Order: sequence, then C-alpha cells, then structure tokens
Amino acid sequence: MRLAITGGGSVSPFGVGRAAFEEALATPDVAAARAFRTTSEVLDAERVGASRTAEVWGWDPSAHLGKKGHRSYDRLTKFLIAAAKHALADAGIKDEDGFREGRLGASDVGICSATAYGSLDAITELNRVAELEAPRFINPSRFPNTVINAAAGYVSIWEGLTAPNTTIVDGNCGALDAVLAADTHLVNGRGKAFLVGGGEVVSDALHLGLSRLDVLAPPEGEGPGLTMGEGACYLVMEREAAARSRGATLLGRVLGYGNAFEPPLEASRIVDARPDAIVRAVEMALAEASLDAGDVDVVAGARGGLARLDAAEAEALREVLPGVPVAAPKALQGETFGAAGAFAIAQALAWMKGAPVAPLVAGEPLKTPPRVVVVTAVGFYGNASAVVLAVPEEAAGRGAQE
Amino acid sequence: MQRVFVTGLGVVSPVGHGREAFGQALQSGRSGAAPIAGFDTSSMDRHVGCEVKGFAARDHLTRAEVRRMGRCSAMAVAAARMAAREAGLEGDALAGPRTSVILGTTMGEANVLGQLEASWFHQGEDAGDRDALPQYGTTLLPIHVARAFGARGMVQTLPAACAAGNYAIGYALDQIRAGRADRVITGASEVIEKLQYAGFVRLGAMAPEKCQPFDAGRRGLLLGEGAGVLILESEESVIRRGATPLAEVGGYGLACDAHHITRPRPDGAGSALAMRRALEASGLSTEDVDFVNAHGTGTPSNDPVETKVLADVFGDHAPVVTSVKSMLGHCMGAASALEAVSCVLTLEEGWVPPTIHHEERDPACGALRLVANRAERHDVRVALNNSLAFGGYDAVLRLARPGVLPAPAPLAA
Repeated sequence: MRLAITGGGSVSPFGVGRAAFEEALATPDVAAARAFRTTSEVLDAERVGASRTAEVWGWDPSAHLGKKGHRSYDRLTKFLIAAAKHALADAGIKDEDGFREGRLGASDVGICSATAYGSLDAITELNRVAELEAPRFINPSRFPNTVINAAAGYVSIWEGLTAPNTTIVDGNCGALDAVLAADTHLVNGRGKAFLVGGGEVVSDALHLGLSRLDVLAPPEGEGPGLTMGEGACYLVMEREAAARSRGATLLGRVLGYGNAFEPPLEASRIVDARPDAIVRAVEMALAEASLDAGDVDVVAGARGGLARLDAAEAEALREVLPGVPVAAPKALQGETFGAAGAFAIAQALAWMKGAPVAPLVAGEPLKTPPRVVVVTAVGFYGNASAVVLAVPEEAAGRGAQE
Repeated sequence: MQRVFVTGLGVVSPVGHGREAFGQALQSGRSGAAPIAGFDTSSMDRHVGCEVKGFAARDHLTRAEVRRMGRCSAMAVAAARMAAREAGLEGDALAGPRTSVILGTTMGEANVLGQLEASWFHQGEDAGDRDALPQYGTTLLPIHVARAFGARGMVQTLPAACAAGNYAIGYALDQIRAGRADRVITGASEVIEKLQYAGFVRLGAMAPEKCQPFDAGRRGLLLGEGAGVLILESEESVIRRGATPLAEVGGYGLACDAHHITRPRPDGAGSALAMRRALEASGLSTEDVDFVNAHGTGTPSNDPVETKVLADVFGDHAPVVTSVKSMLGHCMGAASALEAVSCVLTLEEGWVPPTIHHEERDPACGALRLVANRAERHDVRVALNNSLAFGGYDAVLRLARPGVLPAPAPLAA
C-alpha cells in the first residue's frame, strides 16, 4: 500500500477545517479543556443530568453549507459535508468555484466513509413518532437518514462526486478500514482520489445505550469508562505517484494496513478485545510497509477508557512494539467510534509537523517529530485494525517505492 | 491475478430456505408475499410483504448463539452454514486468519433496536432487555458469522443499502484477488422492521398486494427479507482441495449517481457506467452477456430507467432479463445477495426464473427481453446482477459459468 494524503478537513470540538484542528493540537492541554464540557448542547439535560461529552460546540451548519438545501439532513450528514468541502479544498481538488481546472474531476473522486452509529439518531427520531403517534406520521423526507449509507450518499450529491461511494461499518475500526477500501478502489482504477474517514454524532439514544451498559465515564472525567465525542474527519488519499504528478502537496503517506479478528473466549460474551488480534493487525501493517518495530516512532493508540479494551491494547503493543511510546488521541476528543481512526491519523499528521505528541500513556516523550506512526483501532467485539503512516519526504526511505 | 469462484450457496428467503427449496420456488414462480405477521400494520395503508416464514434459528444455531444475536445475524449464520456445507468446508475448515467475512445490510439488527426503543418510549428508560443492547451494532453481522466458523481474518459490514449484497461480494472478490484472503464468507442479510416498512409506505413506494416489475399497472415494491450467503474462494484454494466451483465471480462495477438520495438519475448514466465497468477488463463484449438479473423493483421511477440503461449498454444484443423481486419482494440489503444466488443457480441449471404478475408491459419498458410469468430455459454462460440503492449507489456483479471467462487481467502498476 502506497497512498499519499493530500488534504484533510474535519469538524471537531476544535472547529472546522485542518488549520483549526492543527492549531488546537499545538497546545494539547488547552485543546482537551476546550473539547470536554459537562453541559451538552445535544443531549436532553433533563433526562441525562450532568454528562461529559466532547461535542462540536456551537455548530452552525449554515456557516458551511449555506442556509438552504439541507433542512432534511441530519447532524452527521452536515458534519460530513463540511468536512468534505474543507478536505477537497485543502487537497487543491475543488473549491467554491467547483473543480479546479486541469486537476481532478467529478468522476475521479469518491468516498470511503465509516460510521458505527451514524443513523441511530435518525432512527430514534422516527421510531419515537411511530411509537408515540403512529407510523403513518413519520416524515418521509427524514426517512433516508435512517439508512446508514445515506449520510455519505448526501456528500456525493452535495459535492457532485461520481466515483464510488462506500460506507463501512466496523465499529471503532471503521475509519482505518476505510483506508483499505480506498486503496482497493484506487488500485482497481475506480477513481483517482478518495475522501477517507468518517463521522459520528453524540445522541440521546447512544448515550442511553452506553449508560445502561455502564460504560460511560463519570461526568467529572475521573474514573473508568469512555467519554462520547463527535465530529467528522476526511483525509484525501491518492496513489502516491499520481499525487506527485499532479503537483499535490503531500501531508503524509500510508504505507501499510492490517486487520484481524479474535473471538471472545467465552461463548456468552459479545463485547471483548483480544491482544492477539491487535498484535496480528499491527504485524500485518508493518509487513506491508516493509518496516520493523524499531522503525516506529510512536503509536496513535485506541485507548478510550474501557478497561478491558485498553488493557488488551497495552498488552499487545508491549509485545509487538516494545519500547515504542504510545499516545492517546481520544484523550483530546473523546470516543468518536467509526470516525476515531481518521481523527487519530489527523492528529498523527499534526505530530509529524511538530505538534506535541500528547498525552503519552506509555514510553518516553519524543525529542523530535515522529516520522513513522502506527495508528491502531480496537473494536468492541474482538476486531482490530492498524495503519502505518510516514512523513512525505523521500528521506523516510523505508518502503518509499510505490 | 487469481480467478475467484463460488463454491457454496446458502439461503434464507421468503420462498424457502436452502438452495434447493429456493431454486424450485423461483423456477415455479412462487410469490413470497403475504399479510405482514411480524408487526401491526393496521395504522398504515399497506399490509403485505415478503417475510421469511418457517425459519427457526435453533435449527441452525447453538443455544448460546441464539442467545447472543438478533434475527438478522441468525439468518446470516444459518445461510453461511448452508453455504459452507455445500462447499465442503464444515467443521474447522474455515477457521483461521485466511478466511474473512464481508457482509452487506441496510439496517442490520433493526428489530433489536426497534424493540428496545419501543420499550423505552412506552415504559421508560429502565425498561427493555439490557442483555439485548450489545446485539444492536451493525458491525456484529460478520462478527457472529466469523465466530461460527472460527474465521479470524477481516470482518466487515458494508451497509450499501439495496446494493449491499453486490458491494459485499465485489469487495470479497477484491480481497481474494489482492491476496488478503483465501476464502471469504460473503453476501448479505436483512430483516423487515416496522420503521422501514412505514418509511417505504410514506415514500409512496409500496405496492398494495403484488410487485409487478416492468408492468404498466405496477404500483411499487413489496418489502422482503432474508439472507443470501456465498463462499468465495481463490482458484488456488479450489484446486488445492479439489473443490467443485459453482460459478466464477468475474468482476463488478461501481458508480455513484450523485443525483438524488432515493431516486436513480433519469438518464441512468451512473447505472450504465457501473454496468460497463462490470464488463471492463473482462475480455468480454456485451454480446457475451446472456442474462441480466434486473434490479426490477416495480416502482415507477426504477423500471423505465433500468430499461433505458440496458438498451444503452447492450444496444441490439439485448440479453434475457428477469426480476425475482416479483417473487421475493425487495429484500433491501439482502436483495442483490439473494439475486446473486439466483444467478448462480441459473448458470448451473439453465433455468431463468420468471417475472411473475406480468400482465401488460409498460411501453417504456417495451425493449426488454423479459422472462414473463413462466421460467424459461436458456443457455446462460455469463450473467450480470444489477443493483441500485439509496445514496445513488450503483453496483453490478458479473458471474459466469466456470471455464467461460478469460483469465483476469493484471492490475495496472
């Protein structure tokens, strides 16, 4: 796998666009303080009481999508569209005036977009009407939002992108798996550039489900459990040679991908993580990148606050990448499930440009910006994925040939 | 690049379970439509659908499996076990990291969520089965199937709405060709849930009693449900274990309309592009395609566009066409997987199933060589399985009788 990352756009607690994201990461402590609050703008305060979330605070879709044409879209769809617009502009592919002449066109650009619970909010909205009033009263213009791939479909419509649109659901691993989907499409000539990443939203239904499963961290943030985050993040990925030949600016490269599944040992258990799966995913990604553990400068880990999953990842990383520092991107943004892998890549790209690699949960602080980063994702059900990122310069050497 | 073959088929459907019952029902033109029994439709002005009948999860799953999964996953596991049995891959033959599971769906375990939310809305947030909560995740479909076989490779859900089956099978083909897996358990599964049913009624897309694709009197689709699972296997694996290939998966084409969230482009450009891409790099021309399993939903917007696409792509070399949705209903995410199974049966047995309830051809669909009302014998060597979906997704799968297709062309460097 040899992909060039040529642009990025995100909607996050830090604002909209890559510049806002990277600016926030320059001071991680301040970023975390901005991201997490205990007064949700999304959840029903009367129902939830105090809650700790990392939301897209003060989200104003009309500032990014204009005032018309998106009334029936849900929150996720609007996040994705705003992220896509910024990513396409950042990659020099498309701006407010349309596709840039002589570059890539509508049929060259596709989408590989992940989400874990993307349509849940819309389903709950319509289920509420169907249950408390009658099914015949549900709003047909909102019905498409209940279909998981509709959000990414709206992005293709909004931006006029006619290369394939693939939605991936693989829980917390989705956005990393979207990288493989994009590589697969690119290698098979189904497009020349793909928006790769995903989105997730904070919702009452998700909050209720997670709180009933007792997996949410307490509102004060101290203690076990995850903290819900939200947002959308797309990275533009192209084949490296094609990106260079069109004169694109490379933000980073993807050199390898791996995934694996190890089922829970107990037949009755559904939620679990096994170190063996994480080890295999990382080994597979490193082998594809033609790199060894010693080449890796830091891991952008999946640590999200669930003790069982975090312990499995820590054990796996000690085995497969001994001594390599491990950072926890979710400590700055919360758990964004299907989008998490894309946000972790975006954070890793910022580290490569000099942003502090923080917070570290294992290993010693880095003295210089990392040149090779392994990004991991750990699913709730025994699945794991990993991606190897490298700086764009040829000097990285290792595995540089396409 | 390696050839990729289908070596096993599994079906849970509105007209029968298992390839034999499914094939016989399709060949005889049996409709799966009946009054909806799974939920109350009295407040809606539609009451008919193609539900799966006579499926007992316990006939196919262990007690522990039944406890930990919803109906959508249970149907997928059952169909996967049937497919593995036919492929001769029972026991631990599919265990290990070289077997992946890639499945499609539209809404996954929608009924698990529907029941939980109904409890919450009517009885309060402490109501509902807490143990059912973890069963909701759409991610779980392939996880449950992988666990059933000890498969330890990729587990992936592609929720590509009504094209999900073709998306999953195509992606499985990609992964075997890329050397990331030797065998993939693939296909799709879907259940009818009250919300989906009400949604299609509210969109004005649902027929009152029967689905009549390409007919002048068609009044829309009927929702269906089921699971279609195929075992895909690399040529090397097939040869190594002396397996019998049922069909070759030759390729697939994808495109995105970028036009409307629920309706196809009126000019059919995206669908036609996907169809041409399904033939690209195959060494075949349109003349070599004998049969197209149409998306054929029976809605006013789909059928004329699909007719135009077929005319644009095939010109004077019109292949035989049918829509089994006239019998199965529109099984949403599972539709193109079930239809892929049907295509394989056609390639094997030479019967093209009929489009039932056909009374008078819509003049806008007049150019079709439609197999109407009675199954017909045709020497089908190459088949296309067409699908379109919410989100403007277009996906077309190319299947062929083993030994017919030229070797796949290597990818450009």
